[in-house]
Amino acid sequence: GGPRAVGSGSETVSEAVGDANPLPTTAPRLRWRVTSAFGTNLPTLGENPVEVADRLRRASAGRIDWTIDDPGEVVPAFAIVDAVRAGKIEAGYTWLGYDQGRLPVSVLFGAVPFGMTPWEYSAWWVRGGGRELAREIYRPLGIEPILCGMIGPETAGWFRKEIRTPDDLSGLKIRFAGLGGRTLQKLGASVTMLPGGEIFQALEKGAIDATEFSLPEVDARLGFDRVARFNYFPGWHQPHTAFHLVVHEATWRALPEPTRELIELACGDGVHRNLANAEAAQGPAIAESERRGVVTRALSPGLLRALETAAHEVLREEAAADPDFARVLDHQRRFRARYA
Amino acid sequence: MGDEARPGRSRLEVTLDLVTDLSSWVWLALIAVIVVAVVLRFVFSLGRIELEELQWHLYAVGFLMGIVACTGFDRHVRVDVFRERMSARLRDWIDFYGILLLQLPFLALVLWSALPFVVDSFVAGERSASAGGLPFRWILKSMLPISFVLLALATLSRLVRVGRRLFGDGDPGGGR
Amino acid sequence: MTPREWLAVAMFAAFILGILCGFPVAWVLGGVAVLFTALAILVQRDFGHFTGVDWSYASLVADRLWSLMDNWVLVALPMFICMGLLLDRSGIAADLMRDVSRLFGRMRGGLAVTVALIGVVLAASTGIIGASVVLLALLGLPPMLDARYAPTFAAGTVCAVGTLGILIPPSIMLVLMADRLAIPVGDLFLGAFLPGLVLAGLYVAYLIAWPRFRPEVAPAPDEAEVVDLALLASVFRDIVPAAALILTVLGSIFFGIATPTEASGVGAFGALLLASWRRRLGWRVLRGVLRETTLTTGYLFGIFVGASAFALVLRGLGGDELIARALLGLPFGPNGVVLTILFVTFLLGFFLDWIEITFIVLPLVAPVVVGLGFDLVWFTVLFAVCLQTSFLTPPVGFALFYVKGVAPPEIDVWTLYVGILPFVGLQLVGLGLIFAWPELATWLPGLAYSN
Ligand code: NA
Ligand code: NA
Repeated sequence: GGPRAVGSGSETVSEAVGDANPLPTTAPRLRWRVTSAFGTNLPTLGENPVEVADRLRRASAGRIDWTIDDPGEVVPAFAIVDAVRAGKIEAGYTWLGYDQGRLPVSVLFGAVPFGMTPWEYSAWWVRGGGRELAREIYRPLGIEPILCGMIGPETAGWFRKEIRTPDDLSGLKIRFAGLGGRTLQKLGASVTMLPGGEIFQALEKGAIDATEFSLPEVDARLGFDRVARFNYFPGWHQPHTAFHLVVHEATWRALPEPTRELIELACGDGVHRNLANAEAAQGPAIAESERRGVVTRALSPGLLRALETAAHEVLREEAAADPDFARVLDHQRRFRARYA
Repeated sequence: MGDEARPGRSRLEVTLDLVTDLSSWVWLALIAVIVVAVVLRFVFSLGRIELEELQWHLYAVGFLMGIVACTGFDRHVRVDVFRERMSARLRDWIDFYGILLLQLPFLALVLWSALPFVVDSFVAGERSASAGGLPFRWILKSMLPISFVLLALATLSRLVRVGRRLFGDGDPGGGR
Repeated sequence: MTPREWLAVAMFAAFILGILCGFPVAWVLGGVAVLFTALAILVQRDFGHFTGVDWSYASLVADRLWSLMDNWVLVALPMFICMGLLLDRSGIAADLMRDVSRLFGRMRGGLAVTVALIGVVLAASTGIIGASVVLLALLGLPPMLDARYAPTFAAGTVCAVGTLGILIPPSIMLVLMADRLAIPVGDLFLGAFLPGLVLAGLYVAYLIAWPRFRPEVAPAPDEAEVVDLALLASVFRDIVPAAALILTVLGSIFFGIATPTEASGVGAFGALLLASWRRRLGWRVLRGVLRETTLTTGYLFGIFVGASAFALVLRGLGGDELIARALLGLPFGPNGVVLTILFVTFLLGFFLDWIEITFIVLPLVAPVVVGLGFDLVWFTVLFAVCLQTSFLTPPVGFALFYVKGVAPPEIDVWTLYVGILPFVGLQLVGLGLIFAWPELATWLPGLAYSN
């Protein structure tokens, strides 16, 4: 960091030295710009970091003063981890898997096809050594990862036509990200990565047959339920989705302990509240889209089996190509084996 | 028009002309890639993320080289409400200080921030995160500093030209 | 105001001063960003005031330029420019303009009306800022100037009609707004459709009426033909290929063959085929078109690049919060609040570009407006019309910059400033109509809901 890091750094140093009071009302403020990967207007996904920041502000009597920026306002969504690593911003709130192009293992901390459920992931992160493993990988990169939000399964996607067997996937034009996309590709689907803003129109006009995006609640706000008749469950590609606060490591270490504690507390609360909000909101959202004529369906067991086989193949390939990926995947699997 | 028609062009300007010509063919390639992608998807139900990504790869190279070319040919947009009423000498002074205080510092900032950006991408072996996306992202990322080095060279050549006019070295012609 | 906010204001003033000096807009934007980063560091280090901007923050410019590079949607820009240049350089555009205007025979302003009609069709096929403006300037300006139209009248028409492209769907602006507000893009697309047509109607009415009062702005054609079946047939025969091309672009979107972005490439490909089919695509023409595509794309993106750095530093200095505070302290009734917001947005549009305003102001005022019981789609459409106007208003009017880049030398910025005045007036009339009859914006989306 340049002069600004010196500025905020000296503020926090004086806080550390000068005051034993955990809420030093005379201490300088911790003013950070925190870029979120999700628009602050998006229900559940985007609201969570804003709530975390609000609670921190209240709990610290205004000493911890974060501005939550929308993606692209200051930092583009996919550049958050990179920008934090380089100290260009102090912290960001993101889905770590956005970084899988440069750090393949990152996706294992975000969401894995046929991977852990939210409670399994919590157990793994808190008690199973997950947090330590994440630190081991991220600290050398200059980043402190803090679990800060989580949601349950997303939908398996919005489809214009019915999907019954694996054969229906063959030739299906679908927008699907990351490892899930690779899985579908193995089953013959034609995967694209249209930019978010073009999905609606492409789906409406039939340039694509299906898309996944996020939670039903979020998708409905974007209008997918108007243009696609079928909404499939379960979200096999993301049984849980975890979000992390990523903090520039040097900045994190320079923080006084009460401040660090407060941030960790707020993030712990963020995970809890995020899950609660997500779960509570989905029922009404699904009911509302069904009222509009959307058919909610479960993927057939045969189809799910085919997807699972393909997903394991994709994971195996990834593990063979990247030692870190292999290590974390193995760690997660061993934990789940003991847990089950 | 800019300096295109001036006799006695420097080697840099000739090179710039050639680079502009060569890089302009990316648009033809881009058209081809889009048409192939559309036909593959609509006729054969075959989506290729490689082709989708190739589209913006080509586009990025094209627009970056366009920014360079515009500097060389003095085509960047100016608000000329007052400029038209200025003497040639005043225009040159404005260009001189503009290049020195605004343009070059900005190019320096981009270069300074783009270099580590590219190096990081190379070290991390960054590739596309999408199914079947393109590898070697650092190649495209390195187009940013490369084009800005060219941009800096073109800018410096303009500075020299304006400076010659201002500080008397023959060439009495005014700027655009 | 804090020292930091003073810096934000000064930064803005420096930008306006810089562009009025006549230095390229792109580098004024970028350079001012660097200067004020340095100033901010000084103010923080030597005077102890928090500014929130330093070199490491400013170096985010690399990440932001990368997000310009990997922006698939913007691929449509050079493609539409290329398509326009192909039509222009191969003479197809001139044919098209001549043929369509033959239909208007003796009517004064016939060429301008033609431009407006082509503009509406183009607007329905591009969603990108700049694409339709540049395309129309290439197609429409030379014939109008050849026909001795007043440069202000001709240039104003091209600028104004060109901006319809960002209001009539598809539109990247509506996409971004829907994204900011987390509402369905489809609702906004439908909501903006009728208002876009209303504005187009206002333009056409003006283009027909004004030359009657001021014959010198649009001289009547020298030898006007009588419109009979033979003429209709010949015109029809001549415009079919070009019309087919534009319909191909529209159709490929409508029938789900291509996304709007890809449709631009399909259009360029069609123009390529059309030109070679008419034997007008020699090596020299092709080389010239591609080269000019590079240059035109270059000056547009030069501005994007500079603006990206400028916005970064301005936001770092809290410029967004400054605007937010000013907007939220409004002491009026519900209608008054909406009108004031729109008025302030209109004023901001003189200096800021639409992306900034959409990012800063829209998410801020939308909840307020909804809280007052207004329809969000209606309000957003009003907001969009305001921003469409901002493309036209000096000193920072991007449509003006874009046209300036491709216009013949006799069109200077002053001509553009004068030329767009009547159209800004028409925009305000349009705003008034949508305000008075919200159904213009809410009727179509409502229809879609009930299905
Ligand atoms: Na449009
Ligand atoms: Na303006």
